[in-house]
Parts: sequence; C-alpha cells; structure tokens
Amino acid sequence: MFVKDYMTRHPIMTEATMRVIDAQKLMVENNIRHVPVVGSGKRLIGLVTRQRLALPPETLASLDVWEIARHLSDMTVSKVMITGKDLHTIGPEATLEEAADVMIEHKIGGLPVVEEGIVVGIITETDLLIQLQELLGAQDHGWRVVMRVPDRLGEYRRLIRAISDRGWGVMAMGSVRTPKRTDAWDIILKVRHCTQGELLLALKEIEEQEVIDIRETGLPKA
Amino acid sequence: MPPLTAKPSSPVVRVENLSIAYETRGGDVNAVRDVSFEIYRGETLGVVGESGCGKSTLAYGMVNYLGRNGKIAKGDIYFQGQSLVGKAEEELRRLRGDQISMVYQDPMTSLNPVLRIGEQMTEVLTVHRGVSEGEARKRCIDMLKRVYMPDPEKVMERYPHQISGGQQQRVVIAMALLNDPALLVMDEPTTALDVTVEAAALDLVADLRRDFDTAILFISHNLGVIARVANRVAVMYAGEVIELAPVAEIFANPRHPYTQGLIRCLPKLGRSKSSSALFPIRGRVPPPNHLPPGCVFEPRCDYAREACRRERPGLRSLADTHFTRCLFSEEIDPAVWAPSPELQSAIRSQPSTASETSNDILNVSELKTYYRHPDSSPLSMIGLGKKEFVKAVDGVDFVVPKGKTLGVVGESGCGKSTLIKTIIGLEEMSGGKAQFMGFDINRKVNQRDLSLIRELQMVFQNPDATMNPSYTVGQQLERPLRRFRIVPADKIHDEAVRILQSVKLDEHYYDRFPRQLSGGEKQRVGIARAFAGHPDLVLCDEPVSALDVSVQAAVLNLLLEIQREHNTTMIFISHDLSVVRFISDFVAVMYLGQVVEIGPAEAIYAPPYHPYTESLLAAVPIPDPDAEQKHIRLEGSVPSPLHPPSGCRFHTRCPRRSLLPDGGKVCEAESPPWQDDGGGHRIFCHIPLAQLRALEPVVNIPAAKG
Repeated sequence: MFVKDYMTRHPIMTEATMRVIDAQKLMVENNIRHVPVVGSGKRLIGLVTRQRLALPPETLASLDVWEIARHLSDMTVSKVMITGKDLHTIGPEATLEEAADVMIEHKIGGLPVVEEGIVVGIITETDLLIQLQELLGAQDHGWRVVMRVPDRLGEYRRLIRAISDRGWGVMAMGSVRTPKRTDAWDIILKVRHCTQGELLLALKEIEEQEVIDIRETGLPKA
Repeated sequence: MPPLTAKPSSPVVRVENLSIAYETRGGDVNAVRDVSFEIYRGETLGVVGESGCGKSTLAYGMVNYLGRNGKIAKGDIYFQGQSLVGKAEEELRRLRGDQISMVYQDPMTSLNPVLRIGEQMTEVLTVHRGVSEGEARKRCIDMLKRVYMPDPEKVMERYPHQISGGQQQRVVIAMALLNDPALLVMDEPTTALDVTVEAAALDLVADLRRDFDTAILFISHNLGVIARVANRVAVMYAGEVIELAPVAEIFANPRHPYTQGLIRCLPKLGRSKSSSALFPIRGRVPPPNHLPPGCVFEPRCDYAREACRRERPGLRSLADTHFTRCLFSEEIDPAVWAPSPELQSAIRSQPSTASETSNDILNVSELKTYYRHPDSSPLSMIGLGKKEFVKAVDGVDFVVPKGKTLGVVGESGCGKSTLIKTIIGLEEMSGGKAQFMGFDINRKVNQRDLSLIRELQMVFQNPDATMNPSYTVGQQLERPLRRFRIVPADKIHDEAVRILQSVKLDEHYYDRFPRQLSGGEKQRVGIARAFAGHPDLVLCDEPVSALDVSVQAAVLNLLLEIQREHNTTMIFISHDLSVVRFISDFVAVMYLGQVVEIGPAEAIYAPPYHPYTESLLAAVPIPDPDAEQKHIRLEGSVPSPLHPPSGCRFHTRCPRRSLLPDGGKVCEAESPPWQDDGGGHRIFCHIPLAQLRALEPVVNIPAAKG
C-alpha cells in the first residue's frame, strides 16, 4: 500500500522548452492528463495538466485570430506549467492515504512521485481507484456481500469464523461506518468456493448481523 | 503479482516501419527494413536471428547511435510518445543519459579500466544528477546488492580487471539501472559468460524488469536464452522481422519456415546423435545489398512457390498477437515437414551406439599439467623465489575407445583446453601418463615423431586464428598432405579438391583466401585440414561455439559424417551441454583441473549426478519455455587453480553439501572417493550414490512435443 507499488513508473515527461502545442499533442495522443516537466537528470521543475493548456477566455478575447495562432505557436511549456508552491509532489515511500490526502486537499488529479528532486513516477486518481477495486477484490470472481454489524468488539471474528469454518475463502474485505449512523459498521466481503444459497444461509445464522446485499461480481467482461 | 486491473497505457517505445541504411560507396545498404513493434512497461521483447540479420543495427538505431555512415532511411521511433527521428544531438544525448540505457556483450567496452568501479559508478549520479558524493556511494552499493554482487563495498574499491567477467557484467547492468531507465537495450549481454554465470544474469534481468518496470529490448542469437527472458519474440532474418509472437507461441507453434528451421537445427538437451538428427537450413543469409526480389527467405525455403519469388510479403497478423511475414503460414504445418532428399542423404542413418568390441585408443592416467606461477618477490628473478604452480590439469584419468567421441564440459578455467593441448603436445606434461595406441605421448610436439603428429590433429574454436590469411585455402590444405606424404606429389592437388568436396565445398574454394569465406566455411576448411592426414584422433576445442545455429548444425553433421567414414576418435570440448550431449558417446565433466564425473553420455544427463553436473544442467538455457528446470545457481566463480580448495575442490560452491552429516565437514577435509555407478559411470563425490540417485532430474522437457 505504498505509493511506489501503485504509481506508474517511467511516466511520459517533457522538457521546459517544448512548445505548448506539442505538449498538447503528446497528451492527447497518449491519453494522459499530467506531464511532469523535467530538467537534466529527470529533476522536476514543473507539471503540465490539461487545464493548464486551456487558455483563459480573457486572453483570447483581446487577440485576433492571427495573434492567437502566433501566441500559441511561440509559447513554451515553461510559460504554462505549474511551479513553486502550487506544485505538489509525494515521495515513493508514502502511503496511498497520504497521496489521497494531498490530492483531496488541493483538488488535484495527479501527483509526480519524487525522490530527492528526481521524478521516479506519477500517481493519479485512477491509480487510487484501481487500488480501491483491488482492496475489495472487484476483479476476482465471487460473492460480494455487505453485512451490517453492531459497533462493538468481536463482530469481525464472528463473521469471519462463520465463513472460514465452512472452508470458504475470504478474498478481500473492507469496512466503513454505516452512512449516517454511529452505532453500526458496514463490512464488504468477497467470498468464494461456495454457492450463493449456502453462503446466505450461513450468514443469516449470525445473530445481530444483517445481510444488506449479496451479488455475484468479477465475472469476465463480455 | 501484477495489479489485476490493467491500466490502459501507451507503449514505452513504438517502432514504425523502421528502415536503417548504411551509406557506402556502392550506394545505400539497407541493413534493417520495415521493422515495426512496440514494447510496454515491464515487458521484454527478445530479438533473435543469425549473425548479419541486423539485430545490432536495430539496437543502435533505436537510440539513433549509428555512426557516421548510418542513418534512419524511413519510418519512425516513438519513445515515450515523442519521435526520436530528427531530434537534435544534444536532446538525444540527454535522453540516452536519463531514460535509455544500453548493455553490450563485452562488459569491458563499457568500463573504464583505469578507474575504480566505485568512481565510475558514482560518477553517473554525481555528474549527471548532482547527487552528493556520500549519497551516490550509498546508492551504488544498494544497486550492487540489488544485482546480487557479493561484498559490494569491497568491489567499489577494485579496478574492473580485478573482478570476474560475470561480475563485470553485473556492474555494467547495475550502472545501466542507476538512472532508472524507461528503456533498457541489451545486446547479447550474456554471450560472453559461462552457463552458470549466464543463468544467474538472466534471472537478474527477469527480476529487474519486474521490480523496475523497465521495457527491455533483449538481443540474442541463442534461442534458449530468449526462451528464458522474453515475453514476446521477434525473429529477424536478413534485416526484416519475419515473425513476432509471444514466447510460448514462437516455440510451440512457429508459423514462419525460417523460425521452424531454426528450431529444427538446435540440438536439444537429452537428444543424442543416435536418437535424432540436426537439420541445417541450406544456403546462407543473403547480404543486404543482394536481396532476392521476392521473399527474402525464398532461396532457402522448402515451401517456396512462384508467388514467393514475385512479391515481398508484408508482416501480417495471423492471430491477435502473432505476426508473420510469410504468404502461406496457414498452410505450412511443421509437423509434416520432412527433410529434402539431399539433406536426408547428408545426414543418413547415424551409427548404432552398440559398442563393437573396440579397443581403447587413448589412455590417460593421472595426467598433470602445471604452469609455473612467477612469484612477485625479487628473489624469484634470480630463481630463488617460492615455487608456486597453477594446477591447470591435476590428475585426470580417462580412456577413449576407438571411433568414439568423448565430450568434455565445464566452466571456463576448468582446464578443458589445457587438457587437450597437453595431449596433443602443445603444453608440457608435468606428471602422469598418456598412451596413444600403446605409445607414450609424454613429449612435446616438437620432439614427437612425424607419424605420431599425423595421427593427432586439432580443430580450434576460432577458424580465423588457425588459418594463414595470405595463403589460399588450397595451399593450406596441401601443406599437411605434403608434409605427411599422404599421397604422391602429383596427386596432391586432386586430393585437396577431394577433401574440399568432403566438407561440402566445391572446387572454386581452392583458390580463395580465408577472408573470402564466411565463418562456417572457414570452420569447414579447418576441419578439412585436420582430417586431411586421416588422423586417428581429432581434438576439437569448441569448434562450433563461434558459429550460428544453422551453420553449427551443418558443421556438427559434417563432423559426424567424417568421423563415421574414417572411424576417427574425437575429443570434443564445448561449453554447450546440448551440443556435447548430441555428439558424444562419453562425457567427462571437469572442475578446477579435475574430472568430477565421467561416463556414457546418457548416464551423465540423468541422475545420479555429481552436484556440479547437476548445477550445470540446471543452468543450460533450454529453447522451450515449457521445459521445467530446477532452480540451482552456483555462487561465485571458479576458485583460483593456484590455491585450490582443500578436500573436494567443489566444496566452496557445492549446493548439495548439506545432504551430508555435519553440513559436509568431510568435503573440506578429505578428497572424495570415486564411486562407481556401473557401465563406466563414475562420480567423484562424498555423497552416497543412493542419495544422489534419489534426486529428481534437473530438467523435465514435456515429451509430447517434437
């Protein structure tokens, strides 16, 4: 659950001297939204995002068509990139939660991963969503169950025991406080090696726990 | 495990219709034509082909580093989304420094011999990245640990010549990775290494690809190596990629006749000359300025039709991931392939291995060859220094029956070459006895009888070094005929021509000079000369190691044929265990000057093994991704023969010592006994035979496939 395990290594990067229109092409062609701008030795000097490439309307209003074309073709990445205190980064040893924290706080979609000033990767919202999916075992075939349990010690153990005593496997698990309530938790489980009927029967036997939802997920996509 | 959710990503490098040309006085020569592929993060693309197929040109072209007369004639290379073609020199240099690394065949070309390893490595970080000296040092040591370098702190203080070849290559790989490159280009990185070291280096490449997510372009002529490291394979022929497919597909279901031919000419581990034959591909790779008008492989192809001569096929898709450049890939079934009549006659039925009561022609006992090691003290200058010896061959016993082949295997520095040089008299014997047909051959070659010299001949690894470049082939063949008075003086020319024909070279070669021959042809002449005087014993020192696989197959067939004709005895050295298995009746495994296991070939390749043999077999790259091989890797390199380890010489590296009580204390103290497994199979080890026999076979090749 470290940034280094989920970031994209060797991201596509650019130099500060690249023209903005080329950077735009680079991002569109490779379907990416963040491009770190680096100097010699992959040292981070800025970040270009798609928003940054969009020109503010007031600039456009004051220029005629020919001027816009010239304005664009002369402009380099160094003019539009995010730098200084607006440029947020994260280290490879940080946890994913820390990365999420930075992204939420500043409302940004991606962070260059930097080790001693050198870019080693990039982590984006997509990477976090992938991690969420894997945390809940969304890609594996099995039964996705949501259980509502009282907020007290030992409920996890009772639930897990009910499943593992029957020789079934729990592939993934996550828990959140039940939305808008303080006295209960929702536990999301991914269970395999059993049928839906068996599983439902076993879960209903657990006292004071409630089956909220059960469905089959992780089937191969058509 | 990789994340299950594959994130859509763009390839690190994408090559589109790339053609690379060299400008020559005769016009541009297209060394690489119309090559397209892509490599993703954490993927290895293996490029395989014979020499002269444009593999290395492609590698250099990828980084636009082609030398003064090379140029990209057509197509484009996109690296990380940006085209490399037409980039300014300065920009390219920065890219090569920051994001692309290369590893070449010879590590010494990448290392500066006058700088300590530490200085060269830290320089990468301090100069390029502005990392502080102390920090750079720490990171270099970490990286050396990462490439499994023993004792990295010490290695940092050494000069390149003070570490072994395998370690040098590790340093180069570590240096290449210091920059955390997105693309790593490896051009035959393990070709110069011993099998055991090679196996460790290949494991390393696989680990690094996974951990660093690097895209790797891996070039090799060795299909076994490719099978071990690559995810996908591009087969190159005459400058074109003729087949591109996932590695399992290439070996299980090759669709291009050339790929099929390449796989057929490999000797497979576990196959011998009596159970199988090698089928060389006829003809040779056309030079890039004389390509056939149609398909480039058409002149050598067994399936060629009219359409193949007319048009040059493009690379087309057979399945999602399988591409071929053959018009008839769907119709060609390698299973129903049969050798053409002339090929069949060339490799007609092999001799039966049933041993007719043959007498031993060579009898070697307790053979020793020591080299005097000059002491560094000034006393030694006046002959009073301590006398130290490098025990290159130290007490070797074996016999070779007439008409049979003894294969000798072992890592470099085991004394294989010294052994046969001693037998032929190029080195002085320091002790022991050697008898050839009952005559002592203890003296050096210059004191031997001419008739004895005639009976013992040698074929060398490098045919260039054995031929006088200023004499024609004919003159070189006539010399032994004249010297040994094989035929009357007026018949010498005819005899030379006959010999040429016997190695499948026609009369025209008589007047050619060595420089006008290809590698395979030179080796044929070398073999022809060795066999000219009808010797009784031919010593072959790695005769096929420098040759391409298809040529190797032809030369091996030739050796077998001539041997059969004259009932010649051979001693055959090779580091390639599959080749030795194929050609030999008996095999001796050497380690540090001693034979550790000897016996009939089939017995060597099945349990019980000597632990050293077992490790060698575990390291052989097998050209079949489905083959199961036990993972045994030897630590370190062969110890110095100046001070060999006490007791069993292999005890310092032996992976099986723990089988003995006390963790194998006896191995350090006592020299092991010779244990007889019957049928002439003997093992030089302390571990009881029953225990060795109980070990599982190292290699398990699925039997279903041909």
